[in-house]
Amino acid sequence: MPAEVKQEQSPSNATSLAMMQEPQEVVEETVTIEEDPGTPTSHVSVVTSDDGTTRRTETKVTKMVKTVTTRTVRQVPLGPDGLPLPEGTSPLGSYTDSIDRRYLKNGSDRFITPQATSTLTRSYNNSYNDSYGETPESQYIRHYGLHDGYADLTDNYGSLSRGVNFRPPRYPYMPNSYRPENSYTLPIRKDDYGHVAQPQVPMGSSTVDLNRSQPERFQPEPYGLEDDRRSLGPEEEEPYELEPDYSTANRRTLPGANRGRTHREPLRDGPRVRGYPDDPIEAELIDERHPYIHGMYSAPLAQPERGSMASLDRMGGRRSPSIDSIRKDPRWRDPDLPEVIAMLGHPIDPVKSNAAAYLQHLCYENDKIKKDVRQLKGIPVLVGLLDHPKSEVHRKACGALRNISYGKDNDNKVAIKNCDGIPALIRLLRKTNDMEVRELITGTLWNLSSYEPLKMVIINHGLQTLTNEVIIPHSGWEHEPNEDSKPRDAEWTTVFKNTSGCLRNVSSDGAEARRRLRECEGLVDALLHALQSAVGKKDMDNKSVENCVCIMRNLSYHVHKEVPGAEKYQDPSVLQAPGSAGPQRKKKDDAGCFGGKKAKGRKNGENDKSYDTLDLPKRTEPSKGFELLYQPEVVRLYLSLLTESQNYNTLEAAAGALQNLSAGQWTWSNYIRATVRKEKGLPILVELLRSDSDKVVRAVAIALRNLSIDRRNKDLIGSYAMRDLVSNLPSGQQRPAKNLEEDTVVAILNTIHEIVTDSSENARSLIQAQAIEKLVAINRTSQSARETKAASHVLQTVWSYKELRNALTKDGWNKSHFQPTVTATPKATKNGKPGYDDTTLPLMEKNQDGYSTIDQRDKDCKYKTGDGSVDLTEREPLKNDTNRKHYIRSNRPAVSLVDACDVKPQPVDSWV
Amino acid sequence: MSFVPGQPVTAVVERVEIQKLRQGENLILGFSIGGGIDQDPGQNPFSEDKSDKGIYVTRISPKGPADLAGLKIGDKIMQVNGWDMTMVTHDQARKKLTKKREDVVRLLVTRKSLEEAVKQSKGCYHKP
Repeated sequence: MPAEVKQEQSPSNATSLAMMQEPQEVVEETVTIEEDPGTPTSHVSVVTSDDGTTRRTETKVTKMVKTVTTRTVRQVPLGPDGLPLPEGTSPLGSYTDSIDRRYLKNGSDRFITPQATSTLTRSYNNSYNDSYGETPESQYIRHYGLHDGYADLTDNYGSLSRGVNFRPPRYPYMPNSYRPENSYTLPIRKDDYGHVAQPQVPMGSSTVDLNRSQPERFQPEPYGLEDDRRSLGPEEEEPYELEPDYSTANRRTLPGANRGRTHREPLRDGPRVRGYPDDPIEAELIDERHPYIHGMYSAPLAQPERGSMASLDRMGGRRSPSIDSIRKDPRWRDPDLPEVIAMLGHPIDPVKSNAAAYLQHLCYENDKIKKDVRQLKGIPVLVGLLDHPKSEVHRKACGALRNISYGKDNDNKVAIKNCDGIPALIRLLRKTNDMEVRELITGTLWNLSSYEPLKMVIINHGLQTLTNEVIIPHSGWEHEPNEDSKPRDAEWTTVFKNTSGCLRNVSSDGAEARRRLRECEGLVDALLHALQSAVGKKDMDNKSVENCVCIMRNLSYHVHKEVPGAEKYQDPSVLQAPGSAGPQRKKKDDAGCFGGKKAKGRKNGENDKSYDTLDLPKRTEPSKGFELLYQPEVVRLYLSLLTESQNYNTLEAAAGALQNLSAGQWTWSNYIRATVRKEKGLPILVELLRSDSDKVVRAVAIALRNLSIDRRNKDLIGSYAMRDLVSNLPSGQQRPAKNLEEDTVVAILNTIHEIVTDSSENARSLIQAQAIEKLVAINRTSQSARETKAASHVLQTVWSYKELRNALTKDGWNKSHFQPTVTATPKATKNGKPGYDDTTLPLMEKNQDGYSTIDQRDKDCKYKTGDGSVDLTEREPLKNDTNRKHYIRSNRPAVSLVDACDVKPQPVDSWV
Repeated sequence: MSFVPGQPVTAVVERVEIQKLRQGENLILGFSIGGGIDQDPGQNPFSEDKSDKGIYVTRISPKGPADLAGLKIGDKIMQVNGWDMTMVTHDQARKKLTKKREDVVRLLVTRKSLEEAVKQSKGCYHKP
């Protein structure tokens, strides 16, 4: 598949890794909410591999976040401000959370005190605030992690459950602790339905972190974490920073740790709950609950408020004293899964919504439950609820679907698709203005988009809607800008992040997917606007930017072949380039002419420039749509990102975009190559060769190779980048500090090969950079066949420059060092080259577009014919192409007595 | 005769004026050149100093314009129409010799026999 090809290149490209979702709302009303943020995402990176092979790498990330909230009904004493009263203050007959109680019990009153609050997560806070103010009567507290197991770990389990296990330490936010199995209900404060929609704060920063960290592999993704944050709301900003692992836990722990709190909620709540303090109160709570509980059994969910909660409550006895008490009550039990699924069809809406919310909680990070839900036919029911008129119901159903769709189990995703879940989600997206619901929808779609077979389905049903409903409005781009209005900046909302992540995934699905996205009205324009806005605001490290750049990169892949009307631009390039390029190349063959080459190089450059001004197709109208992908203006954008961004994925994607654009042999790629030079992009790229990130180094190396198709670029890169390229090579069997992956080493070797080919000057630079020793060592000792082969090609090319042999001999090298380890043929150099060419070219082609066309001639022919410009001579094609190599190589061997007239450059002898 | 880059070169030279011959669309001189700063000087069979990257006459077509003008195989070309040929690439040299606008090329060449002749006669030196 084409798509695959693209991406692959760099697994590293990771670019495309999309993470899936995040769990967002943790808390909502009562029940437990789970978030699965993560869905596996696959990234496709379009990049071409160095080898020439393109691989597509997908990485899927799954994140899960779940938050369980249990409501406990309690009355919170409100202060004058509507906030819960501090301990000292008299609790008004309020119910305190069970958690609180614990605290009390375990610790001392102090816990209850403000300190405790500190631990509370934002979400709680938010909810509290709202809820308090609003509904004093019963407030539900959400409980998060319920698992006892966690308890063991530490007290801190943030209320949010991020799957700790899953998540890397990086994401502190995710509440890990929740394990559905254990206990769910923690008595939490109240939550209000109204509260439900928690304001989620778009978090640029958080996303950013996630992004970076996200690797290609499954990792628990930020999503969940993020959600938590969001839910947390304004207050907590630090969480991330605080502690990677369990941020919540830690925080919370502070006070509670010793006490061994297990509940997350407590932590979160802690701060706000001031009223908790007194035991008496608790007692009351308990009392009240019990009745509740009893009732629950019969129809736990049925009761709109408390009942539903109750079910949740069962959770961990340990956690909260109150819970314990509850558990003790024999009459209470949790509904089993079939019962919960059955409740989805309950005539009473709150039962439905609570059942869905409970499902979301149960599914959080629990693949078994997800599978069971699927097998119990719960998914079609949930999908059906998406069309439910009540926001509470479709919101919860969507939340459950998000969790279910997260994870490696693609069957769950397929199940959602099979019952038309994707169109239902899109339909709901069009219908709702509730940001939270939109986040859930787009998060679910992000999860779904990680599975290859669903990508086109998403494109077919949702591409234009996602673009119109989310991408365009949040990007700040306006189709028809008002005269007066200032251009708007992009808003890095969660919805935008989720949607761009989803599109990032689907953009990797091959040529057809790319075509659809390119032709999707307003999409490219909006993405570009968003990125320009990011550059303008110097806000380039977040996940949304990463997603956007990855989409752009993917859409730039093979743009010279796939864009409508691309043929028109093929010839011109050929023509232009040929004139200058052809000769130059030949000259190059001659080998290292100092001045000659450079002069020629300039010519090329000049040609390019003139090209730009002269030959570039004139536009009567401003570029729009996919044309924007390859306009020279984007070069500056990508270079800005490469200069400013700290996000490796973004860096890799930006370099990959330049790589894709500079590949191929059409007018625009010529122009792009020259523009990168004129915008002073070469030093920026060379600088990135020192990056600590393997994939960034690789993408940059390949980009440099494509850029060196331009002769002037080749001279410059040979002069200024050689040492940095060489320094990335392993020396002998010892890997350099960087310990770059095989793919990267091969990419660098191929880039060196490209730079050295046709340029004895650059070969000289290579020797001066002390590269021969490393190359020989790789050639002889590398464990990697690909590395050996690539190094061998470079060595053979170097040895082919006879004028350099003296210098090489002086350094103690002899012919045997430059021969392939496998086949030692004396004439290998000359004769061998063609052979090599075959091997190398394909590789190149695979990897890079530029090289993609293996047979230059063929291409040329095609182009010519297509264009109608027949006359162009070989040169033209040659110049841009890799073909040169063939050319040169073939020429060199044959050189000895050729007619000068025909072949201008003859190294040895020329008739005049 | 070798020289050090950047240092003045002293050599005995002979002027050779060649009238180009039209062959079809091409104007030919009837000889071939080798060498150039981009070539491996070690391969040059005519140079005394194997580090000499100058342009040498490698072959001459019998009865061709160059042959008629007295050019010899192994001559080192110092100048072409006033252009220095001691520090040029092979291709640059070729271009100077094959300008289509010019029907005549004037070469300054040196050869071992000239040097020796001069030494014997204590003749004067020409500075290129």
